[in-house]
Amino acid sequence: MTERVQVLRGGKAHEYVIAEEHDDGSLLLAPEPVPGGGETAPAEDGRAAAVAVAELAGILQVRDLTVAYGPKTAVDGVSFEIRRGEIFGLLGPNGAGKTSTLSAIEGLVKPQSGTILLDGIDSRRNSNQARARMGVQLQATSFQSELKIGEIVRLYAGLYGVELSSQQIADGLRAIGLDGEAHKPFKQLSGGQQQRLSLYIAVVHDPALLLLDEPTAGLDPQSRRQLWGRIENIRQEGGSILLTTHSMEEAQAVCDRVAIIDNGTLLTTETPHDLIEKHKNDPRVREIARGEVTLEDVFIGLTGSEIRD
Amino acid sequence: MTSSRATAGPSLRLVLSSLLRADFLVFLKHRRALVISLVLPVFVLISTTSNKATERFGGPEFVIGLAIAYGLLSTSLIGYALTVARDREKGVFQRLRVTPAPTWTIMTSRLAMQVVANLIISIAVVIIGSQIHHLSLSAGTYALVLLVSILAGAVFLSIAQALVGLVKSADSVQAIARVLFAVLILLGLLGQSGALGAFWSSVARWTPVGVVMTLFAGVLGLHPWYSRDTLSLLACFGYIVVCAGIGIRWFQWDAR
Repeated sequence: MTERVQVLRGGKAHEYVIAEEHDDGSLLLAPEPVPGGGETAPAEDGRAAAVAVAELAGILQVRDLTVAYGPKTAVDGVSFEIRRGEIFGLLGPNGAGKTSTLSAIEGLVKPQSGTILLDGIDSRRNSNQARARMGVQLQATSFQSELKIGEIVRLYAGLYGVELSSQQIADGLRAIGLDGEAHKPFKQLSGGQQQRLSLYIAVVHDPALLLLDEPTAGLDPQSRRQLWGRIENIRQEGGSILLTTHSMEEAQAVCDRVAIIDNGTLLTTETPHDLIEKHKNDPRVREIARGEVTLEDVFIGLTGSEIRD
Repeated sequence: MTSSRATAGPSLRLVLSSLLRADFLVFLKHRRALVISLVLPVFVLISTTSNKATERFGGPEFVIGLAIAYGLLSTSLIGYALTVARDREKGVFQRLRVTPAPTWTIMTSRLAMQVVANLIISIAVVIIGSQIHHLSLSAGTYALVLLVSILAGAVFLSIAQALVGLVKSADSVQAIARVLFAVLILLGLLGQSGALGAFWSSVARWTPVGVVMTLFAGVLGLHPWYSRDTLSLLACFGYIVVCAGIGIRWFQWDAR
């Protein structure tokens, strides 16, 4: 039986059949043949179309994702797509389902249902191959406390398939402002230095998609701005980024598009500008806004102003 | 960043060598803990030098067996279980799990280092014990001791794995490991010596420490293979299968 997959493009779901399944887990998609066969494209054309589809398709497609912890549903039927070269922000109050969504994409939790396609790879079926294409910075960074920074970099580079010499490690550390720190333990670094190192490790293998879970939490304004610059550089080098944040300023400054999630459900997905335009006359937003409507006004208007734990 | 975008996963060789190198560095940095693990076995060896004390435990082979069992119990139950529980609580495993490294390689690398620690402890105790108790051991005996050490280490590691599988909090793992350690030591010392009577002597014989001690005594004395040795060997495999099964089935990578 031919397997079908759904690809989200321009907010619409398109059906494709899997034309080829490669050893590395990547899928070659072809447009679904028309029933009856009258208008089915020849194989070569189908293959060409599939290549075009693969380029057009987003780097990450999440469809009907549901994650539950026992009786509690943390993520309830979430669908979104991240385009190639895009910085996508996932916003939501505490406990909204941001980290659970990220954990499912990273393969740390097993979703109850849904599909996750990363660069054409079904990450639920080929999790290790999907992980090879993603770089991850977790909310709380923790490396083995006994290892020094240079040893940590060498370990994680190896786990991503990159063999680095001592000189390359020193050069890499110099590039992120940690010159001469290779022999220090991780815990001796400042918060900003730890974030820079963590980000460096996350991109050491040049991933197609970078997942950042609240990357600027606890950073001072200087470190935060510096990190924004680094994220922008990664995008300019062709990387795509999915980040979660509580900072609306960050979302507005960095993200091309944002999605707001609350109670495990995706409320909306727009560019920050369009989100403001779309909701600026919403009574819930107007009630909160003091002067010109900001992204934070829209966020609180849509998710409510009660404090979440 | 590197010049080409990552598409293929890393080779298994590179993953394993990277993990083993890192775990070996951690092992080297914990060498003081390894030396501390030798304190109790050496104390047992020294405190049983009199003929009366040695005979109470069944001879010098049993004393050395008991000392090795305590050393392995200490590194596995206190060392391995606590390190795994603490790393899990700190999120070290979660960071490793978001890499393309298969999860079995993460644990295999750690267990490999633990096997090395176990072998070092066993050899050290046998050398010290044979000197103190005037035993002359052949190269073949040393080889047999190493084989039994691997088996005994597997028994205690599986118990440690079951502990971290069933208990999430590092503090609770530490508390339970200490109680378990004390119970097994007391059962070994008091039970095997007969100080608690025939019933407890019989119970002590079939505890993990007791069966391991019997096997060590068997290979150190090189006496004919008794049915008790076979039963001890089977008991070792039983402990490994049951405890490792529990430890793998219920182990969670995340402490939350």
